[in-house]
Amino acid sequence: MRMTRRSLIAAAGAVAAFPALRSARADPGEVIVATTGGLMTNSLQTHFYKRFEAETGIRIRAVAIEIPDQWARAIAGERTGNVPFDVVTATPPDLIQQADILETLDCANMPGIVAHALPNSCGPKGLIRTVGGMVLTWSKKAFPNGGPQSWADFFDTAKFPGPRSLPDTGDREWWVPLAALIADGVPRDKLFPMDLDRAYKKLDAIKPQVAVWWKSGDNSMQVLRGGDAVMSMLYSSRAVPLTKSGDFDFTWNGSIRDTGNWAVLKGSPNMQNALKFLDFFVQNPTEHLPFSTEVSFDSNNKEASAQAPPEERRYRPSYPENYEKLIIADYAWIASERAKMRERWVSWLTR
Amino acid sequence: MTKRPTSFTLGGRTYSPAASLLLATPFILVMILAFLLPLFTLLHESLSVPKFNLDNYARVFDQEVYLRVMLRTLRISALVTIAALLLGYPLAWLIARSRGLLLGLLLIAVLLPLWTSVLVRTYAWLVLLQRNGVVNQILTALGLVDAPVQFLYTEGAVVLAMSHVLLPFMVLPLYAALRGIPDDYMRAAQVLGAGGFAAFRHVVLPLTLPGVASGCLMVFLLALGFFVTPALVGGPQQMMLATLVQQQVTELLDWPFSGAIIGVLLAFVLCLVLIFNRLIRLDRFVGQV
Repeated sequence: MRMTRRSLIAAAGAVAAFPALRSARADPGEVIVATTGGLMTNSLQTHFYKRFEAETGIRIRAVAIEIPDQWARAIAGERTGNVPFDVVTATPPDLIQQADILETLDCANMPGIVAHALPNSCGPKGLIRTVGGMVLTWSKKAFPNGGPQSWADFFDTAKFPGPRSLPDTGDREWWVPLAALIADGVPRDKLFPMDLDRAYKKLDAIKPQVAVWWKSGDNSMQVLRGGDAVMSMLYSSRAVPLTKSGDFDFTWNGSIRDTGNWAVLKGSPNMQNALKFLDFFVQNPTEHLPFSTEVSFDSNNKEASAQAPPEERRYRPSYPENYEKLIIADYAWIASERAKMRERWVSWLTR
Repeated sequence: MTKRPTSFTLGGRTYSPAASLLLATPFILVMILAFLLPLFTLLHESLSVPKFNLDNYARVFDQEVYLRVMLRTLRISALVTIAALLLGYPLAWLIARSRGLLLGLLLIAVLLPLWTSVLVRTYAWLVLLQRNGVVNQILTALGLVDAPVQFLYTEGAVVLAMSHVLLPFMVLPLYAALRGIPDDYMRAAQVLGAGGFAAFRHVVLPLTLPGVASGCLMVFLLALGFFVTPALVGGPQQMMLATLVQQQVTELLDWPFSGAIIGVLLAFVLCLVLIFNRLIRLDRFVGQV
């Protein structure tokens, strides 16, 4: 009798365990991915999310959110133990500033990343998603005999007259002073640590000529199209469509590299799925090619850029001829000085 | 000064003060839940994060940028109030003198903007004032200017657009005050030998002062916290307090410091209302509007 009872319990246990086992196999769960909305979310959906779902069975819950808002929620979630996302979008200084709440990536043991990611694109806290730059863009109508070619030209109002535009959003507290230092003749290996006094002295001179401080990517394009400014500092993802439209042009010369990164939140609810998604993302050059054309950014796959048609190469920052012109900032220095730089920027700009 | 809830009469029956309080309860509850509670949470945070002290408030006065934005907000609000009064008084006068169809049309002209989104009205100003906008095209076509004038992102544009958006809040109390004056008063004044202006100055103006006061106070207070119009029509050099708070919250995630800025503004507005109340006895004529 004893034996029977014991085996009965064991059998019951096996039956009880079975549905759990089965459902674990049938439902691999989900992964919550936070990115900026609009074109970025839609293009990711078309080229990556759907395929990932089909191949792994893991559902992707895409959350469209602005980056500061995303961090606010992530930090609050970290405090309360209720982490809201698995994968988040981060700028390079974010990866350093928010390092405490980000999971460390074991890049060397992620097979997809080892085989397909761009070299040095996977750091301890993040994986490069897209690469672009802050580029000098100008109206060809305003300068029919050749536009400005450098930040020095941007600040030269005698040679290139007309109203200017500059960003007042994103990481402008270091983008704009950095462009001022380049214009003032600081060699690229001496830009960091930044001499902010020198930068703001240079900026004081151009400030009366800046007609519009743009607030969003759409806004930045509208300012140039509407003729409110004849040149501007733009996201390359905005400069490319303007240039393709015919009336504008831009240069990679002195462009400040701007990357979007994937990162995983510590203690996120679907950690393994999140890591799987990152490893999946860098594969499949056939998806990266149309994706990067759509969003006008380079994306992280080392085979894709070689397959880009020749006429597209001029628009791609990772193309060697363009890449060597990019300025790559000292993100650790920026992360440590950022709060002070923000306050100085607001104080200077509102004067 | 203290007012007790009074009994009121409706449909031939008289109700107790308790009934008035009961009727106001839903409103009071909504105010507590949706307004006072979040406000006190924010103010509490401004005093207690990161430590329980006045550091956040010291920072408001320490960095000149915050004081500058605060003073600018006061200046722009004052200018908007004056502009709305100068534009609104003649209009209210005209409406109060009109009868029939004209009266209806004028009232609709004042009320229609109130029913239109602030965002839409502000975008209309963007279309008018931009570099290749309607105003610049007319000026260039008439040969009055050689190159397009920079209207947008100036303090003038902010004052102009805000005065337009807030104008109804000035016109309506003025109209109510003017309509309350019987025509006979003007006639009586003139019979007694007063000229048109003297009659206005000594009879009409004093009688409409309560309307002027409540219109000005309403426009001024709304202007202090205005967000959409100055953020779109103005540039960073015209940044007002509401935009500053928004930036602190959404970009720097600094809730405690935003709370301190709001606390300073709130204290200022409360002082203003108290002084105003002392000078003009606000409670007396709010009922007339």
